Amino acid sequence: MMRLAVPLLGALMVVPLVAAPVALAQSGPGGRALAPGVKVEVAPAPGSGTAPQPGTVDETALRYYARIGDVERLEAEIARLRALDPSWDPPKDLFAPQPVTSGVDESPFWTLVSAGKFAEARAAIAEQRRKTPSWQPSAKLLQELDLAEGSGRLRSASDTKRWQDVVDAAAAQPEAVACNRLDNAWRLAEAYAELKQTDRAFDTYKTVVSQCPSAKERRDTIFKASRYLSPAQLRELTALGATANPAPGEDYASVRAAEAELETGRLLERAGNAKGNLSATELAQVETTVRERRDADSAISLGWYFQSRKQYALAQSWFSEANGWTPSDRAAEGLILAYNGLGKKAEAREAGAPWRGTSSRVDQALKAVDPPRGSSGGARPGPQGPSELDRTLARRDFAGCLVAVQSAIAKGGKTAALVQQRGWCLLELKRPSEAEAAFVEAQALAAREPAPKTPAQNPSAAARAARDAATAGAITPPTATRAQENAYGQTVARMAAGDTVGVNRDLPRLNITAAQKAEIRASLLATEANRALEDMRYRDALRLLDARKELETEPRNLSILRGWALYNLFRFDEAYKVFKGVDDRLSTEESREGVLTTWKTIYHDW
Amino acid sequence: MTAPSRREVLIGAAAAGLLVAAKPVWAKPFDGAAWRDYAQRFLLPEGRIVDSGNKGVSHSEGQGYGMLLAEAADDRAAFDRLWGWTQRNLMVREDGLAAWRWQPEGGVTDRNNASDGDILIAWALLRGAERWKAEAYRTAAAAILKALAAAVVVEQAGMTVLLPGRDGFRKGDSLVLNPSYWVFPALRAFAAQPGGAVWGKLADSGLVLLSKARFGGFQLPPDWLSLDPQGNATVAEGFRKQYGYDAVRVPLYLAWDGYRDPYYFRPFAMLAARYAGTAIPATVSLPGGTTTQVAASVGMLAVYRLTCLIASTGNAVTVPPFGPNEDYYSTTLAHMAALAAQSLGFEP
Repeated sequence: MMRLAVPLLGALMVVPLVAAPVALAQSGPGGRALAPGVKVEVAPAPGSGTAPQPGTVDETALRYYARIGDVERLEAEIARLRALDPSWDPPKDLFAPQPVTSGVDESPFWTLVSAGKFAEARAAIAEQRRKTPSWQPSAKLLQELDLAEGSGRLRSASDTKRWQDVVDAAAAQPEAVACNRLDNAWRLAEAYAELKQTDRAFDTYKTVVSQCPSAKERRDTIFKASRYLSPAQLRELTALGATANPAPGEDYASVRAAEAELETGRLLERAGNAKGNLSATELAQVETTVRERRDADSAISLGWYFQSRKQYALAQSWFSEANGWTPSDRAAEGLILAYNGLGKKAEAREAGAPWRGTSSRVDQALKAVDPPRGSSGGARPGPQGPSELDRTLARRDFAGCLVAVQSAIAKGGKTAALVQQRGWCLLELKRPSEAEAAFVEAQALAAREPAPKTPAQNPSAAARAARDAATAGAITPPTATRAQENAYGQTVARMAAGDTVGVNRDLPRLNITAAQKAEIRASLLATEANRALEDMRYRDALRLLDARKELETEPRNLSILRGWALYNLFRFDEAYKVFKGVDDRLSTEESREGVLTTWKTIYHDW
Repeated sequence: MTAPSRREVLIGAAAAGLLVAAKPVWAKPFDGAAWRDYAQRFLLPEGRIVDSGNKGVSHSEGQGYGMLLAEAADDRAAFDRLWGWTQRNLMVREDGLAAWRWQPEGGVTDRNNASDGDILIAWALLRGAERWKAEAYRTAAAAILKALAAAVVVEQAGMTVLLPGRDGFRKGDSLVLNPSYWVFPALRAFAAQPGGAVWGKLADSGLVLLSKARFGGFQLPPDWLSLDPQGNATVAEGFRKQYGYDAVRVPLYLAWDGYRDPYYFRPFAMLAARYAGTAIPATVSLPGGTTTQVAASVGMLAVYRLTCLIASTGNAVTVPPFGPNEDYYSTTLAHMAALAAQSLGFEP
């Protein structure tokens, strides 16, 4: 029988995980009692089945908690024992090593258990039993070890997707699945779900959200369950979690909100899909939830939803919210483009200031605000609305950008800035060869144009730079000059076109910033790693990926590549870990394929 | 080519047909008659034990088992023939350990050692030295122990562990280990020798390792495991991922050394209990639990019987008599189980 041992109102509830959550199974009379999160045998003698006589209180658990210094449990255990026997007082020598009747002191074993050295504890006990055949370890000691090992078995079976073994391990060690081992309960529910025993999975989740007192844990459970349960089941789960067995001091409003958040997630996903329009009701629901949770990521998604519909004011307000809750260059990027859409260029620049020079996405967005306009510079007379080019960039309409650049050139002549912008748009359109040509041309043009004003010559720019430094922290990387931008763009285009050898050769001499160099180097290493994998030079691939990791966090696609390199080197366990890590963050076709293939290889399960 | 694969050839030579016995019977005790029969079948006049399940090869393990049985049967002449042949034919390495395999055609075909073979030989020499008051045996044993300690006893993750052979068992940072090479009663005898502390440590770590290396539904040890620098034990890559012909000796050696903790015997007893009334499978895949069609041999059943007695699981294993062509490994295991039981005072 699977049971979930939880503390509740001073009496131990032993709850069958497979039964309906309301059908609480009370333990046998006097058989077991409660310490927080731990089931304690009151009467260790098998079959005794009754409450202890006064003076025969089992102090094993008490001594254990004293030994490991778990004051909270110690206090709870003292209170419990006092309740059982009012005449009982805690022993004075609670913290001293204990000789036991058989002459064997268990404290060395408890020390090992407390240190998590379960195997060592087992070995020491076996050795003691060899030396002292008449001695038996206390039931509490064995129980602690069984529990720790049972948990370990359950986890290891779950990690290797042996779902039936997860269920078996839970059945063999029911105490391993409890509120204070919530992760095990989740793993059990997942195993049921994977075994297509959805009802049992559902029951397990229901038991958790109705028996475990923590609101946060109930809430997390609902999110875990969302992967396996239907919307109707999730609604039931949420209702249960928000109302069942409330514990004093816990606020279950966040549990109830979970359902709306899940719904919001589904709606946002729909909104992000090309032309998925949300109804007014749906939008209102999403907006309410996002505001309640101050969820910056969702706010950004909402911002883009409105931006793509040219509702710049709404977009701006959501990007602002996002940036206010959690400042990020992604929020700033949206904010810049939304302000730009509204024609508020000063605000747009200000929004980008903290990230300028350090975030390529912000630098890109700022180009939409101050698109290169050749020698005319900023000397355009009077305020005017966003240009056609601005608007295309704000829409991320890069094909439109090419048209706009073309028409601007037709009107005002070719400038380095316009040609450079054309290069960026071509890159976005994945036309790297043309992009490279554009950057080369821009560089040639720039060489003939007068140098742009430097901060020293421009008081307002200097003031802005000072403010940037204050906002972004003491270290602000030098902003790239226009010539550097061209060289950088050209290099990126060459790499996209596959000329990694050339870029690698030229990299040290390129006139670009250090940050740009590092970025390009990381990109080169990734390309080389890809090539190494294709050439079946797996060790090289790993070496290159490791070198790249020194420069930048490894993105998902390269982790997948790493997984296959390891796989091909027969380092299956490592490959599995890599794929599993990627899959746990976000499960996709390719991550699942990696996990499955590796797993099948490891366990010969073809 | 190293020791690992030598058991695989044994598959198919196992016994079946153990369902009929009305009441549990114990394997025959090991006595003079049992030894004479054993020697007649597996000991050649020149002093080598023939592995009948493995194309008539001889190996250091067989020599060690043979010497142990000869000592137990008080047959010093046979013991000397076995030891003499071993010295002349297997002790051809410069480090004082025995080459593990010898073939009728070609002699020593793999110079790597098998650490359990060396351990069994050294243990037999120590026992012979005791029984016949022969210091030369003790001196020879001491030399082997010194060589073993230098070549195959290593530290990993705070444990003292035994490499299965000097070469080929380091895979990157991890070690490939064979739990059945921990011949616990031998290690205890070694630990009692001057400067023998390292063997005590090895035995202690062996118990820890056996607690870590429990896999699958029965929590059985694998024939081959991998131990990483953090002390994590996994079923070794590159070997059959199973509990089987090697690891069945784990409970035998533990029992022989006087261990009684049911925790260490329960996995094997549970396996036997699961297949009570039918044939216990010879191997169990780990961690999956797939069993082979091949039944456990008579010798393996003798080990299970002993194990169940100690684990107190309440089930008794029936051990049938040897078949007419019972192979070397099964016969040896049965005699070893009998010796262990006799040393523990169990009734045959």
